[in-house]
Amino acid sequence: VLLALYLGYVGLGAGVLQALERPAEMQVAQHLLQEHWKLLANYTCLQGPALQRLFQGIIQAYKSGITLQGNTTSLGRWDFSGSFFFSISAITTIGYGNLSPSTAAGRIFCIVFALFGIPLNLVLLNEIGQLMLLGVQHCAHRLEELFHWQKKASLLIKTCALVTGLLLFLLLPPLLFSEKEGWSYEEGFYYSFITLSTIGFGDYVIGMNPDRTYPGWYKNIISLWIPFGMAWLALVIKLCINFLE
Amino acid sequence: EAMCSGKLQTGLLVAGYFIYLLVGAAVFQALERAAEKQEKMAAAQMKEAFLQNFTHLTVAEMEQFMKNLTEAIQNGVYPVGNESQIEDSNWDFSDSFFFAGTVVSTIGYGTLRPKTAGGQIFCVFFALFGIPLNIVFLHRVGKMLSLLCKKLGKFLYEKGMRKKRIKSLTLLFFLVTGILVFLCLPSLFFQMTEGWSYSEGIYFAFITLSTIGFGDYVIGKQPGRNYFSYYRMLVAIWILFGLAWIALLFNL
Repeated sequence: VLLALYLGYVGLGAGVLQALERPAEMQVAQHLLQEHWKLLANYTCLQGPALQRLFQGIIQAYKSGITLQGNTTSLGRWDFSGSFFFSISAITTIGYGNLSPSTAAGRIFCIVFALFGIPLNLVLLNEIGQLMLLGVQHCAHRLEELFHWQKKASLLIKTCALVTGLLLFLLLPPLLFSEKEGWSYEEGFYYSFITLSTIGFGDYVIGMNPDRTYPGWYKNIISLWIPFGMAWLALVIKLCINFLE
Repeated sequence: EAMCSGKLQTGLLVAGYFIYLLVGAAVFQALERAAEKQEKMAAAQMKEAFLQNFTHLTVAEMEQFMKNLTEAIQNGVYPVGNESQIEDSNWDFSDSFFFAGTVVSTIGYGTLRPKTAGGQIFCVFFALFGIPLNIVFLHRVGKMLSLLCKKLGKFLYEKGMRKKRIKSLTLLFFLVTGILVFLCLPSLFFQMTEGWSYSEGIYFAFITLSTIGFGDYVIGKQPGRNYFSYYRMLVAIWILFGLAWIALLFNL
């Protein structure tokens, strides 16, 4: 029964996403096709094969994470801050993928690094989660003593904690992102959830826009937000699991 | 005093975590930066060569075209080959199914991802309920796997082995067979079906089963290869059992 439910759920999601995404995709494809033909029409000496080779080259470069815009003196992405963020994305299992090791040595190190880093991360998240739970229980006891409520205080505090976490980790950060990254609120929310749930597609990544300047405290705040937010979301998911089982 | 040592432990943990990240960052930087520089030079050279061959194309027009092209590639539309390839969608049902699977397992490759606001919001709520569902499902699968181990333990017990020895032996057996079945053998398989090297296959297998899922290697996306029809389903089954195995390993 569980298998059927699981497969059914995944299938349902597939159907809905397909319905939502396909039209938009067709549009982009058409647009590109138009551009392609426009370019060829304007410059009739551009031959198919040479253009194809250019395309291949651009695609290859893109996959290696190189963008071909502007001059070539722009900063590399494997600077220390980029590598630090990459390390985070590896051991939290977010794995954005906008940056990924291309050398064999880098990959081997990545595997070993993650092999020890992921358990370390899980232990830390567990600790943070326990601290959060303790804090909530502490508050509940205090309220019970103060106002002589009984069981009601516990439920109230728990909902309060849930709502605070929701605000702090999922609903307020998108406002910051829309200001610093220029994303819409919905995109910021989407990014927040995809990051904190460790899915980490990598379509949106903070601090990656070469046209924007980021203040020094920005990346530090994000480095705090990620572990605490992940610990909170993990607690919420544990609650869902307990409910399901 | 117990509270003091608890706080000390937490402090050490946080410090250790941070130091671990710093060390990793430094090593990655050292390993990857040189290669990145090379790639950049190669890409710039390619651009130069192209511009030289077609000198009546202005740099500005070239930049604009490159920008459009990069955008299209980011959207998953690869303009290689003839027109009819653009007719094939990235979101046919089997692709969408695989995508939904990468969402609930939190692997999240990102090679395919929702671009519409509706798709993104749906994705969030789909994951909110799908991730717990996935974990519960993996627990069940894991229980099945652990039953196999218990049977082995029972068999050894009847043969007269001591309990402690049985425990460590079954753990070892579980670890070794798991590594063989979920890491080594699939990498051989991928060597055949995807044309990756063996180490690339291992890298892909590890990154997938750990749910990191960078997306630099994804199955079924090599252009010009024919994949047999149940390939993706087979890979999905491998991912499920592999994830359950890893989850069990953590619980042991």
